[in-house]
Parts: sequence; C-alpha cells; structure tokens
Amino acid sequence: MEFKDYYQVLGVEEDADLKAIKKAYRKLALKLHPDMQPEKNSDDEFKELVEAYEVLKDPQRRAEYDELKKYGTASHDNFQPPPGWQSSNDSNSAHSGGDFSDFFNSVFGGGGFDQRQRSHQPDDFSGFNSQGQDAEIEVPVFLEDLFSEAPKTIQFSMPSLEDGNVKHVNKTLKVKIPSGVVDGERIRLKGQGGKGLGKGRSGDLYLHIRLVPHPLFDVEGHNLVLTVPILPWEAVLGCKVEVPTLAGKINLNIKPNSQTGHKLRVKGKGLKMKTGLGDMIAVLKIVTPDKTTDEDKALWQQLAQLAHDDPRSKWSQKDV
Amino acid sequence: MSETLLIISFEELCHIEQLSKDMIIEVIDYGIAEPVSGDNTRNWVFDTNSVRWVKKAITLYSQLELDWIAVAMIVELLKQKEKLTEENENLQRRLMRF
Repeated sequence: MEFKDYYQVLGVEEDADLKAIKKAYRKLALKLHPDMQPEKNSDDEFKELVEAYEVLKDPQRRAEYDELKKYGTASHDNFQPPPGWQSSNDSNSAHSGGDFSDFFNSVFGGGGFDQRQRSHQPDDFSGFNSQGQDAEIEVPVFLEDLFSEAPKTIQFSMPSLEDGNVKHVNKTLKVKIPSGVVDGERIRLKGQGGKGLGKGRSGDLYLHIRLVPHPLFDVEGHNLVLTVPILPWEAVLGCKVEVPTLAGKINLNIKPNSQTGHKLRVKGKGLKMKTGLGDMIAVLKIVTPDKTTDEDKALWQQLAQLAHDDPRSKWSQKDV
Repeated sequence: MSETLLIISFEELCHIEQLSKDMIIEVIDYGIAEPVSGDNTRNWVFDTNSVRWVKKAITLYSQLELDWIAVAMIVELLKQKEKLTEENENLQRRLMRF
C-alpha cells in the first residue's frame, strides 16, 4: 500500500504546531468539503484531509506516525508497517465519521466499524460483532412506473468482505415502489445493505428515488404540471383543447381572454398519493405561429390598427 | 420481493452510527430530524430522509468540530439549498417548453 504523507495533505511543515495544523485543516475543509462544491466530487480529497487531521491533531498518533514516516518514506509505494508494529493508541474513530484508508487502518487499527469491515486482515476482527454498513443507490423511475403494479428490478454492486478481502458483489432485487412516493424520497430495504460481522445485523439499503424528466409533464409533489401551448386567437376567443394525461386524453375549456401563466386544475389526474391521486395543473402559454403568409400579415395589421390595448401602459415615462 | 419501508423507528435510528440515544435526542432537539409520529422516544417514528440528515449532522459535528447549533443551521441551509435547486431546475425545464 501507498505511504500517506499527512503533512503534505495538510500543506504544513513537519514541525508545525497544533495551532498551524488546525488552521490548515479548517482552511482546506472549507475548500474541499463535498457540501461546498457538490459538482466537483471532492469526496476522496476531503476523506484524505480528515484522515490526515485525525492523525496529526492527536499527539500520540502523530508521534507514532512520525516514527513510521522515517521508516516508510524509503518504501513509499509499497509500504508495510514494521514487523510486530502495534499502535498504542486506542483509535476510536467511529464518531469522527471516519472512512479511512488501508494505510490508516494498518497503522492505527480500525477503531470504527468502517475500518474493521474494510480491513484486509481477518484476524483484526475475529470474535467481533458489528452491524453492517448502510448503503444508498440512486434509482431512476419513470412517471409511468409509479402507476405500475409490477415490481421494479434493481441491480447494484455492494462491497463485501470475503476471505479477508473486500470484493464487489453484484446483487439484484425486485422492489415494488410504494404508492405515494415522490421525487427525492428514500425507500428503506431493511437488512439489504452491507453484511454485519459476527452476529452483527446487516445494514439497510436506501433507494433514492429520482424521477426521470418526462417529455410532457413536470412534477410538483404529487401534482403533474402540463404546459399547454395556445395560439393568440385561441387565447382571445377561448377554445376547447385536447390535452394528454397519464391516463389518456381529455378536453380542456380555455376561457376567452386567457393569458400565459393561467392555470387550470384537473382533479385526480396527477400522481398516486398514499390515498387517492394528485391533480394535473395545465399552465397556458401563448405562442405565435411559426410561419405567417402575406395574407396573415395583412390581417394582423388590421387587428393592430383596431387594437385599443397597451400592455405597457403601466410603465411611466420616467421608468422607460 | 424485498420489503420496502418509508419509516424508521427511534431505536433503529440510534443503531445507524452506533450512537447514544442522548446524542440522537440532541440532534432531534435542534430540529435536524423530526419525528413524523409518536409522542415519546419509545414510539417515535421518522421518515427515511431523516437518516440522511442525521448522518450528515453527525459527520459535520465530528469532522468540522462544530457545535450543534452551527450544525443545525448548516443542515437547515443545506435543506433549503436542495429545495431551491430542485425548484429552479423544474422552473428552467418548464420555461424551455414551447
């Protein structure tokens, strides 16, 4: 395994005092924390930073690390702790949210469950009982799936400890999406996460539901939003428009003098709720024709001359 | 077929990160997770999204060495940001139609 240079990770000198280490950590944590820049995918860099700080903020761990560093830098890419190496530090990192590297675990031992589960040394946890890790996967779901009674097949891979090594095992589950589930919700599958150690129970699997954008409908909670394009004369004169729903077509009455943004609520044509159905909201959008003939233009000009409305009348002279 | 759940009990929530009940109660006191039903710890029930926020809060508390009030504020702001991002994406998509 690779030797980790924690001083380099934090960007501090080897003789830096605790104050300088804290300062460097805080500055980098602000820059690298995954919540600060989710699009940058800085999880691994942040984990490395937390690990470096975990070691260097603790005088005992730091002393042990410094000792190892003298030994480890010679075999940088193929580091193994010296024979008989044992940390005197009771490394309890379970509450630090630690998910540390093999290097950390081999040097300081896995204090938290994460570390024990990932350890490559089976002897580390003989006789040890611990709960399996929870896992979360994102599941794309089509709107139509929310009406289907058929179970959805979910395929994913899960890290599993076999013969002391972490292997990725492919799993397939059939899941019925519960009624009333909305975008962003998490469905819990009890005991389908990482396997527990010894007599420890398995973790849970969370399915993070992400609705796939629909070509026609947008979603607001349990309501569907349909943008309905209408022509200017349809808006002025009113009309009857055939519109799609997830359960077939229906007719909508557009009142005379409708405007862009006017909403018409159609009860019970939305998504499934725990009981009943949400609504569909048709939002009008006035669109002009793509093409106009000379005859069309002449008619529009006649209308323009007759027009007595000024949509900009509320703009006062000084605002313009 | 796997059993699906949209809730988690208080006891189960405590097992997640092998945390003490007192710590979880602290998280709840600050409004980071709120029970959807139940009037005492024995019958408290949470929605499954609470698990994510409890984990997030505990990670922030330990990794960034913050106090709970700061964690609660960050979590609240993250929730607001997530909601606004989603609303913005929805509105952008709607504006692009026709």
